[in-house]
Amino acid sequence: MEAYLGIDVGSISTKGVVLSKDYKVIASAYHRTQGKPVEAIKGLLKELQNQSNHTKIIGAGTTGSARRLAGVMLGADIVKNEIIAHAVASSYYYPDVRTIIEVGGQDSKIIILRDGIPIDFAMNNVCAAGTGSFLEHQATRLGIPIEEFGKYALNAKFGVTIAGRCTVFAESDMVHKAQMGITTEDIIRGLCDAIVRNYLNTVAKGKDIKPLILFQGGVAANIGVKTAFERALEQQVVIPENFLVMGAIGAAMLAQEYINDSKITKFAGFETANTKFITKAFECKDCPNSCEVIETFRQDQIIDRYGDRCGKWSEEVK
Amino acid sequence: MKVAFPYFGYDTIALKNFLEMLGAEVVLPPLPTERTLSLGTKYSPELICLPFKITLGNFIEALEAGADTLFMAAGARKCRFGYYHFIQETILKQIDNNVDFYPISQYTPFEFIFQKMPKIFSVSPARVMKSINFLLAHSRLIENFRKLVRQARVIDFTLASIHEKHALEIIADAINLMQIRKARKEIKALFNFADDLPENIIKVGLVGEIYLMLEPFANHDIEKELGKMGVLVLNNRSLYRHIKHLLHIDFDRIKLNHRAYKYLKESPGGEALNTVGEARTFIKNGVDGIIHIFPFTCMPENIALEALQKMSDDYSVPILSLSIDEHTSKIGLLTRLEAFIDILKRVKNQKAVSRVPRSSLLTPH
Repeated sequence: MEAYLGIDVGSISTKGVVLSKDYKVIASAYHRTQGKPVEAIKGLLKELQNQSNHTKIIGAGTTGSARRLAGVMLGADIVKNEIIAHAVASSYYYPDVRTIIEVGGQDSKIIILRDGIPIDFAMNNVCAAGTGSFLEHQATRLGIPIEEFGKYALNAKFGVTIAGRCTVFAESDMVHKAQMGITTEDIIRGLCDAIVRNYLNTVAKGKDIKPLILFQGGVAANIGVKTAFERALEQQVVIPENFLVMGAIGAAMLAQEYINDSKITKFAGFETANTKFITKAFECKDCPNSCEVIETFRQDQIIDRYGDRCGKWSEEVK
Repeated sequence: MKVAFPYFGYDTIALKNFLEMLGAEVVLPPLPTERTLSLGTKYSPELICLPFKITLGNFIEALEAGADTLFMAAGARKCRFGYYHFIQETILKQIDNNVDFYPISQYTPFEFIFQKMPKIFSVSPARVMKSINFLLAHSRLIENFRKLVRQARVIDFTLASIHEKHALEIIADAINLMQIRKARKEIKALFNFADDLPENIIKVGLVGEIYLMLEPFANHDIEKELGKMGVLVLNNRSLYRHIKHLLHIDFDRIKLNHRAYKYLKESPGGEALNTVGEARTFIKNGVDGIIHIFPFTCMPENIALEALQKMSDDYSVPILSLSIDEHTSKIGLLTRLEAFIDILKRVKNQKAVSRVPRSSLLTPH
């Protein structure tokens, strides 16, 4: 069977899917990135290969913040930003979608669609308060597994107000509230409300949020944040079945759009998982810009270089 | 007397030639780099806007290069730019007590022609006027060149970059009106491969704060990056227009202020009214999207942003706002640009096939 591969390498997690030609998810996998994207991608490839026997990959796409590295490693046909990937996947499964709320590990975004076409978007600009890594940090601090975190909010009797503008201030506010004797449940609900308030006042500011509203990305697993969104928007918020891997599905769909039944894929095969990859960085000292140039090697052979302003290192490899 | 002034994009050459015509020996600081920015940031108040930091860095590097007389534009009506020179002078005097610092008020052209310049350079007002005439011609040449190179990048980015270097040499060598006329023809011939643009090209209008729109180091070379993606950038801001505006002979401004009136009735300071007017003009002329670029914490442009968002809803033209400071990462900026351009392409494709039933749009073909 012929299928497409989509990989989404984010700051916290690495996601991948194998998608059939009629957009059925044949295999999907989820790994922690843990600061080692190369290892995470390899682990992901092994798992995807085990799940999808007898499929032939005829196109591959990558997305997420490490999309470039992943694209170089896999020999991806298309390397695209997360916004388009999410928009393409969501508008296929939910043709009526008009708003996508995506909260990931380190960034949050809103995508506005009309008639299945993305027409506007915004990303968090200067602050990462209220994203996945912040929630995870707070969960660890309170000694609650991240998977259970959202359920605590549902058991709250009332929500306290937590300052959600800044991660550090939110944390000291939470400590303060706890020391006043407020229960953990109420504080967590307050935190979920604060995250949503922060999101709506910064990222989604001035955007016309209309139903159908989809909520995806890692934080969508947190039921507390979902209900907080519903409370604030006074509308139903839908979490797609494949909310974790929507970006990866989008990447696979974009690969199909690019291949278009005529081009031949550059995909290096699942064996990439056994190839040795090394990434190095060095500071170019040729001018006061001191660009940090990042190099990727496959089996000691250089395959990619980027990060230089003037382009003299990156053009050498091309 | 060794004169220096901060970089101002491509128009730096015009300002240099202008000062040389008045008899000054000009020391150009090294092109702005990360070092310039970190020097500027080190001596700046923390939350001041980005242009302050880069221009201060330019001044410090100019002092290192041997300059002893510094020029800085001043006066901007209700915007922090008007106070730049007070603070910069204080900071620079602490670094080098012997430096001469001349703020040049933008809104007093008569004082500039009849008192200030004749006194500093001991020349006649007639010579200053002659030099201003030359400055107008030279900056007009540069405006024209920038327009051509933006078109050329869409057709062939590599060729455009090669010709760009050549054209800049031609521009720098033009030191009288005759040579400017000749240079205009030569530059036109250099870029004639891009005379005819394909029709379905993505067009983006750039609006915002003038320094960020004109200085490539400050805006992370946004025009080039968009050109690489095959997007035609429209940018109506230039030194030429700005000088015309200061001499009260830019009649387009009146039109722009009229266009802005529906969304912004009065100038909140800086260039905000101009931003709104230009954006509306771009939309009326049929661009696919607007990119609004300004320094983080810029008051006038943040007010313009609200007006632009309303305009975006009224005309359903997407607008991307980029607020830039020294922490802005180029990779983050490129992700946003790439996503924005992808959105514009998809909107454009949908318009082109709007007669086809929607179900067929959903399956990629």
